[in-house]
Amino acid sequence: MSKELIRLSDCVVRFDDEIILDHLNLYINDKEFLTLLGPSGCGKTTTLRIIGGFLTPTSGDVFFDGQRCTDVPPHKRRVNTVFQRYALFTHLNIFENVAFGLRIAKTPEDEIARRVEEALELVNLPGYGKRRVESLSGGQQQRVAIARAIVNRPQVLLLDEPLAALDLKLRKDMQVELKRIQREVGITFVYVTHDQEEALTMSDTVVVMDKGNIQQIGTPEDIYNEPKNAFVADFIGESNIIDGIMLEDKVVKMYGKKFPCLDGGFAQGEPVDVVIRPEDIDIVPVDQGQITGTVTEVTFKGMHYDIIVDFQGFKWLIQTTDYSPEGARIGVKIDPDGIHIMRKSRYSGMFGDYSSYSEAYDELNVDADAVTEGSDE
Amino acid sequence: MKKNSALSRAFTFLVFLFLYAPIILLIIFSFNQNNSNVVWGGFSLNWYRELFHNRIIMRSLYTTLLVSLLATVIATIAGTFAAIGFYGLRRRTRNVLNTVNNIPMMNADIVTGVAMCLFFVAFFAGWKDFALWFNSVQTLFELPTRLTLGFPTLLIAHITFNIPYVLLSVSPKLRQLDKNMIDAALDLGCTWFQAFWKVILPQIKPGIVSGALTAFTMSIDDFIISYFTAGSSSSTLSMTIYGMTKKRVSPEINAISTLLFVTVLLLLAIINIREARQEKLALRQQAAPASLPAAAGNPGRRKPRAPSWLAKAAAGIACTGVLATAAVGAFQNTRQPVVNVCSWGEYIDEDLITQFEEETGILVNYQTVESNEALYSLLKVGAGDYDVIVPSDYMISQLIEEGMLEKLDYDQIPNFSLIGEQFRNLPYDPTNEYTVPYTWGTVGIIYNTTMVEEPITSWGAMFDDKYAGEVLMFRNSRDAMATALLYLGYDLNTTDEAQLREAAGLIADAKSRGVYQAFVMDEIFLKMEGGNAAIGAYYAGDYLTAVENNPDLAFVIPEEGSNWFVDAMCVLKDAPHYNEAMAWINFIASTEANLRNMDFIWYASPNKEALEQYPAYYEALYEEELDQETYDIIAAPQEVLDRCQSYVVLPKETRRLYNELWIKLGIQ
Amino acid sequence: MNRTKAFTIPYVVWMAIFVVAPIIMVVIYAFSGADGGFTLANFASMGDYTVVFVRSFRLAIIATVICLVIGYPVAYLLSREGARFQRLATVLIMLPMWMNFLLRTYAWMAILENNGLINQFLGLFGLGPFQMIDTQGAVVLGMVYNYLPFMILPIYSVIIKLDHSLVEAAHDLGANSVVTFLRVILPLSLPGVLSGITMVFVPSVSTFAISTMLGGGTEFLLGDLIEQQFLGGAYNPQLGAAIALVMMVIVVLCMWVMNRFGEGEEQAVVL
Repeated sequence: MSKELIRLSDCVVRFDDEIILDHLNLYINDKEFLTLLGPSGCGKTTTLRIIGGFLTPTSGDVFFDGQRCTDVPPHKRRVNTVFQRYALFTHLNIFENVAFGLRIAKTPEDEIARRVEEALELVNLPGYGKRRVESLSGGQQQRVAIARAIVNRPQVLLLDEPLAALDLKLRKDMQVELKRIQREVGITFVYVTHDQEEALTMSDTVVVMDKGNIQQIGTPEDIYNEPKNAFVADFIGESNIIDGIMLEDKVVKMYGKKFPCLDGGFAQGEPVDVVIRPEDIDIVPVDQGQITGTVTEVTFKGMHYDIIVDFQGFKWLIQTTDYSPEGARIGVKIDPDGIHIMRKSRYSGMFGDYSSYSEAYDELNVDADAVTEGSDE
Repeated sequence: MKKNSALSRAFTFLVFLFLYAPIILLIIFSFNQNNSNVVWGGFSLNWYRELFHNRIIMRSLYTTLLVSLLATVIATIAGTFAAIGFYGLRRRTRNVLNTVNNIPMMNADIVTGVAMCLFFVAFFAGWKDFALWFNSVQTLFELPTRLTLGFPTLLIAHITFNIPYVLLSVSPKLRQLDKNMIDAALDLGCTWFQAFWKVILPQIKPGIVSGALTAFTMSIDDFIISYFTAGSSSSTLSMTIYGMTKKRVSPEINAISTLLFVTVLLLLAIINIREARQEKLALRQQAAPASLPAAAGNPGRRKPRAPSWLAKAAAGIACTGVLATAAVGAFQNTRQPVVNVCSWGEYIDEDLITQFEEETGILVNYQTVESNEALYSLLKVGAGDYDVIVPSDYMISQLIEEGMLEKLDYDQIPNFSLIGEQFRNLPYDPTNEYTVPYTWGTVGIIYNTTMVEEPITSWGAMFDDKYAGEVLMFRNSRDAMATALLYLGYDLNTTDEAQLREAAGLIADAKSRGVYQAFVMDEIFLKMEGGNAAIGAYYAGDYLTAVENNPDLAFVIPEEGSNWFVDAMCVLKDAPHYNEAMAWINFIASTEANLRNMDFIWYASPNKEALEQYPAYYEALYEEELDQETYDIIAAPQEVLDRCQSYVVLPKETRRLYNELWIKLGIQ
Repeated sequence: MNRTKAFTIPYVVWMAIFVVAPIIMVVIYAFSGADGGFTLANFASMGDYTVVFVRSFRLAIIATVICLVIGYPVAYLLSREGARFQRLATVLIMLPMWMNFLLRTYAWMAILENNGLINQFLGLFGLGPFQMIDTQGAVVLGMVYNYLPFMILPIYSVIIKLDHSLVEAAHDLGANSVVTFLRVILPLSLPGVLSGITMVFVPSVSTFAISTMLGGGTEFLLGDLIEQQFLGGAYNPQLGAAIALVMMVIVVLCMWVMNRFGEGEEQAVVL
């Protein structure tokens, strides 16, 4: 990776008695696509606002290119933001919206015209300059918002859940589009989202946050394959998280049985969290299974079935292409590389049981996120 | 959505008809040939022409527009900033302030008006002490010690009641404002001030414009608050109209109102048409195929935008306001000598004012007030910023008694020598140090000969069931009580409580029997001329004005006798323009001025030359002889005057009794 | 937005001086005698004016009820018309305010007089003349006429903002038009009604010009009484302040009680 561009050093944000950011340390490299990922209220938008200069941390410092810039106001930072609900100026047309920053900077008129048109082309909206904001669709408004930020040639572009208000299909298109734009302009993107799929698709680096703390920093693959704790494991993808005891390196005990795995470095007899991804579980006949359970629920998902299996009162989610009817007794087999061992953490026992599994879970999370992150009062 | 039925449409139409009927009537009668609001005399544009020569109306129009514009501009700016400030406040603080903000809006206008009036008066009193002290300890500046209600207080009052409207219409726009938009502006390189100017302001502009329009409308329409805070030196159009509704509303007022109304109507029509056209344009633009497949838009977010020219109009108003202030400032800096005169309505030939101004270069602020009692209140409250006033006899003695008048410098009033002997050294000013008589006249009964069976000869007609519902009684205590006292055969100036109670009882009894159609002052013109009432007690000169419009009217000084009165010019203590006041009094006392006034208002002149010359003057002017009967009504002959008595000031206890009896009567 | 807080300072100062201080003056005056000392005499003599209080409040209540009865249907019907008509109509409702209210009231005098337009018209059919002016009815008419727009506009602005799908939902749940109106539209438009009632009642109860012009001076109202004490014949500002204070307190109490009904509802936007 290239050189470090932004560093947040020991940042604390406190509103009244509530701690929003708890001694956060983070550095961001130049030309990197970094995503701040987490549920509502995790502090990701607050972090973004600190970088943007809209918020001064209660304590701690912000460095930009090695210079301390904690108290520098937004208009003096070479950082631009794409806001969640676009925040386009409805009293100006598209051209004037994009030209806004350039005009403030007193750029010559012909250069403004050229750069605005370039920016509009970059976001696939050439010739839209004369239109009014209201006459554009949500996706188009989003592109204008990006153009408006990028035209100022910032060193860093901050994006605050830019796709949250778009529908699913459009969101997927825009993910690709954003990645393309980032490659073309070659600047740092700091992207805030609560959508793990978005984060995994686009990012070079993902920062998973919760309750004002960073839980894990890593590449999308690291985060997915080697979650550091139950929170990350659960938040990124689906996970069955089972209590286990490390018997020795590469052997873990669950349900009173030994399972081979690839992890080591734990104390003997140390209680651990065992993560098993639903797609890493093979269904086998009962007699061949490492353990056996009863199917309690089957949902057809198109490419696979989601089946919930009760193993001695603990319910697992298994994704499989093989159909098993409700009530059937099945055995499962897990390859050693499908088992991931984590140390116990404050999140242990909070996630990974699918007893109350419901499709609505994700949706609820989205709504709550939009509400709390949106208001900063 | 279901459309409304024809029946409900008819209902809506009727309500609108109800709202507009009086307005249509006023507009129609602004083109009337004669000065009636009931009888159509043919089409004419006379009143529009007259309008521009009527200095009282033009002056009050100017005051109204100036105060409305200035108040609107100031309140709009202040209200907008306050709204932005509110927006950043904590909820609890904001709620408290919102409550205070609502006070002027929710409070009755009269309470607001009275409260401000009291406040200003108290402030002036405090200021006087301060100024006197300040002037005594240093000599560099001399602070004015006498402040009165006037344009500044009027403006303050208007600003105060306008701000809440602006705040109320800007606040929702701010709440709708996406906070991210401000962040976005800062993010794009704006300083906070630039963000305010380039983003917040344009975004809340519709709220500001509608707030300004509401404020302006409220200012233009306001009467009650102005009435209590303007004093009477700066009358707004409303106040002038109020003064007139007591008499006959001059059709010039219909004309000016029609002009104002039509202007606004046109303005709004243009706005509506432009808005409709813009909307169509926007629709067409949206319908145009986009080069990208247009995803589902978000129609709920579309907000109607105020047309930009409306904003320009607002800016125009603002500029005009500022210019107008500048003009006023410059105007006041010219230090033209001024004299402030307060008199009764339609009590002077206005050409005399112009003539005086041309001859002397002294500007005359001519104002009117309804009655002696109202004048007294105005002076007490400190609302009257006058030099010369023209009260009636009994009020003059009261003012002298309370030390409110200044002695005159008769050396500067050579025309005083022309005043008839019988009008000098009268009881109200026995040594004649304070007054120069203006007019004199008698009180009698005006009646409509077609509505009564036999000529009226006695005050008894005022209490007679025969004319129940057809009688108009004075709406001032002294004159009303006088009719009863005269009928009962008591002295006009009696202080005997039993006699006064008996007189009040007589009126109360007649009132309870439904004898009185109304208690009136100058409204009597309208009612008698229109034939709406048969009998009314009033002043001789006013009868002659009324009879011009209704020849069926007759006048009598009843056999029991009556009151004869003198109105005289006096100067208030500490009058700021004493010498100009002397010049004015001398001018009005001249024979020529007296002739012109006598001809205009039909009240008798105290100037002996004028009194003698009037019949000849009339003949020369109208080329017909003045009949003796008319002349006798104007200037009652000695044998009539012998039956009449003038008022003297009553002792304090009697005045209090009058007040008590009168209020009991009103609230019965 | 912290720096914007400073924007409120001039406003707060202004309001403190010109809104709060004057009201304090009223209170001070109400409790002082002519000599400036503390006294309750002004309130003690208030009993003499019970008739005026009763009459003022009675007429104002009647006028308010009539305004509501006329104004609500108009506002409701208006909200169901086309957008263009609505815009035009709201302008037309505001517009009369540009013709001075004294003048419009004066025009009513000409209409209602014994020899006025209505009686002349009725005279063509051999009816009348009826005594219309100088009655309490005429005063109420003047109030209704002048303040009707203040009833229509707040109600209209609330109704127009109602989500039409609520009406559809009510229909869907089996309510007919009448029930829908009574159970859905009416309760939801209550904030507008409350604000309309306030905006009609307060000026009605305190008016003084209307009663003089249309009531013939016999229908003495609170406004007249107060005006008489300040700028009229009966100079007694202490008593005037006391009457104004009592009126203000009664009105505030009425409004408070009424707003308990619509508690939690934000006040409808004025105009």
